Amino acid sequence: MTVFKYFIRISLKYKWSILAYVVIFFMLTIINGSNPAQGPASFTDIKLNISIIDQSNSSLSKSLKDYLVERNNIVYPPKDEVDGKELIFLEIADAIIVIPEDFEERVVNKEKAVEVYRDERKIESFQIQHQINKFISFVNATYENGELDLNAVNLALKEKANVEIVGTNNGNEKVKEWFFYYFNFTAYVIIAIYIAVIGMVMTDFTEDSIESRRRVSSKKNFKFNKEIYLGQFVLAAIITSIFILGSIIFRGKYIGEVQFSKYVINTIVFSFTILSLTFLVNNITNNRFAKNGISTVLSLGTSFISGVMIPHELLGEKVVTISKFFPTYYFVRINRTDITSLLDVKYEILMQLLFAMAFFLMGLYFSKTKQRV
Amino acid sequence: MKNLFRNILYQIKNSYRDKSFLFWALLYPIILAFFFYTAFNGMMDIELESINVGIKEDNPIEFILEEIDILKVEKVSDRQIEEKLNNEEIDVFIDKDLNLLVKNSGIKQTLVKEIIDQVKQMVKLNRPMNSYDFSIDYTIAKNQEANPMVIIFYSLIAMVSTYAIYYGIEVVSLTQANLSNIGMRINATPLTKFNFLIAGIIVALLLNLFANGLLLLFIKFALKLDLFNEVKYSTLLILLGNLFGVSLGVLIGVSNKLKANVKMMIGISVTLFLSFLSGMMGPHIKVMLESKFPLLGRINPIAIISGNLYRVNLLDNTRFVNEGVIILALYCIAIIVVSYVFLRRRTYDSI
Repeated sequence: MTVFKYFIRISLKYKWSILAYVVIFFMLTIINGSNPAQGPASFTDIKLNISIIDQSNSSLSKSLKDYLVERNNIVYPPKDEVDGKELIFLEIADAIIVIPEDFEERVVNKEKAVEVYRDERKIESFQIQHQINKFISFVNATYENGELDLNAVNLALKEKANVEIVGTNNGNEKVKEWFFYYFNFTAYVIIAIYIAVIGMVMTDFTEDSIESRRRVSSKKNFKFNKEIYLGQFVLAAIITSIFILGSIIFRGKYIGEVQFSKYVINTIVFSFTILSLTFLVNNITNNRFAKNGISTVLSLGTSFISGVMIPHELLGEKVVTISKFFPTYYFVRINRTDITSLLDVKYEILMQLLFAMAFFLMGLYFSKTKQRV
Repeated sequence: MKNLFRNILYQIKNSYRDKSFLFWALLYPIILAFFFYTAFNGMMDIELESINVGIKEDNPIEFILEEIDILKVEKVSDRQIEEKLNNEEIDVFIDKDLNLLVKNSGIKQTLVKEIIDQVKQMVKLNRPMNSYDFSIDYTIAKNQEANPMVIIFYSLIAMVSTYAIYYGIEVVSLTQANLSNIGMRINATPLTKFNFLIAGIIVALLLNLFANGLLLLFIKFALKLDLFNEVKYSTLLILLGNLFGVSLGVLIGVSNKLKANVKMMIGISVTLFLSFLSGMMGPHIKVMLESKFPLLGRINPIAIISGNLYRVNLLDNTRFVNEGVIILALYCIAIIVVSYVFLRRRTYDSI
């Protein structure tokens, strides 16, 4: 087992690279996990952070303010328009509402009456316009003989629909989300570490002088390869275990609430597929610099397009179609699927294994081509 | 002067022969920009899709719900309600007493709740239907042009502008006898080290500016994103980002005796950490820091560059840019002075 022993020894030379990835991964995990793990068990309205500048100071503007304050969170008002835009840019405020001096007159004349600066990046900021329009429409509906019945409007606006949440499992949505993002992100680090580190170790082994020495030695090719692949397998198993153990350390008490075995099996299958991909890369090139580049591009690229960094729903249709040509897509799909048994995701597991087989066969082809040269 | 030009020429040649330079300086930012664009493109036009609402046959407000464009109404039976909510086939179920059943809280559920609240409130207000006119929009929308993708691109440009940090580290290692063979040779010859260093800094600035230019051209012509409406301050900020990067690189290079790759690691960590704090890897970090430590955003060099690029180009706001420029310039001056203290009169017992 000399080859295996040296494989592990050389791998240890790259411990700082592995550690850097692991530390960054866990740092991001801690930051992402700083939100409370337990989600609300009851329905909560989306509340916006708004700021109101009331230049009218009338009873009508006061009523509108009270209504908006009750439904949203208030942040300190900006000094001027530039400051207001700055608050929205910094995401301190989702919307700034300016009630002009002649507000009441505009309302009665059914003219545009309130200026709204809204954060277009947030889809929920639409609702502020809806709230304002509803309030003014109600007020105008009570307009009779030059009088507005604000008391009736205020009373009516207190009516609310009753909302219930189905099922009993909704409380652990945040826990599920945490596991989903945690295991999704392992895809990025697994690709980056495997190709970079195993690639570097393999470069040391396949260096011309060492390769020549090995060829004249009594070590059989088959035995050499067997020990090399055993070394790769052990290194991959250690790295994958670190991430699986990490999830237990960070959220161990919640693993009963999520489909933990699904995440573990999926990560192991994915890890195996990427090991095959690493085998292919190692047979395509022996250049350290090229392997570093491939590691960065493949890990970042597939993570961006396959739903690791951004959910599938927010990716364009074409991007999702392209991502189906990479195993990461199927890995993420399994993580986001609620399953009753592994049979529910058999297609995705099979796809990952087929990718593994394809990478392995392609690797063999390149290896044979190299040998012929 | 002739020596300076010769040194500049040699160092430019030296850098372009280095494949890792070509990849990390020229290609990597472009690849990153392409990935950002591919991934965030779908987020450019955020539109609320239709909301699937489940009702039973006897729902009294079916005709109202059918009138609302955004709602897609579907009849469901009692036993289907939970199943359809759990499978996300419907977002909300409304019963005949106008109570809502949802799987979780969210914008779609909140919007349907607003609609049902409104129906209940209209009943309570008890005014004839024709007294309401919901077709009027009483708001004057003054939304600021914004999308998450643009902000990420400004952060990327800010980060890449400080990438001169790597050349700074490299240039110093070329002048130090304990770090490189060229350093040994330079120290053993009558060549002035200072001249070589100045040439290196000029090369670092030129090459990184060239790399920044390529990235901006790629963003403008390949990705077709118009990020810059304002030229004067944008150029100044990018230039200062470059100067900050190269001077910090020189400081990291001269201030310690660590190995070159450890220094590179420090450089990478510093730029990544500052980019991370400025919100490049998710706006929530920036939002959290902005609410708890607002000062940090005003002194973080990458946040100064990315924030002000956004302000001057999208918000037409130049209020904070002078402050940002002064802070960046002060950083550069302070770092250069400290580096100079480390650099002067450095001698070696043996080479």
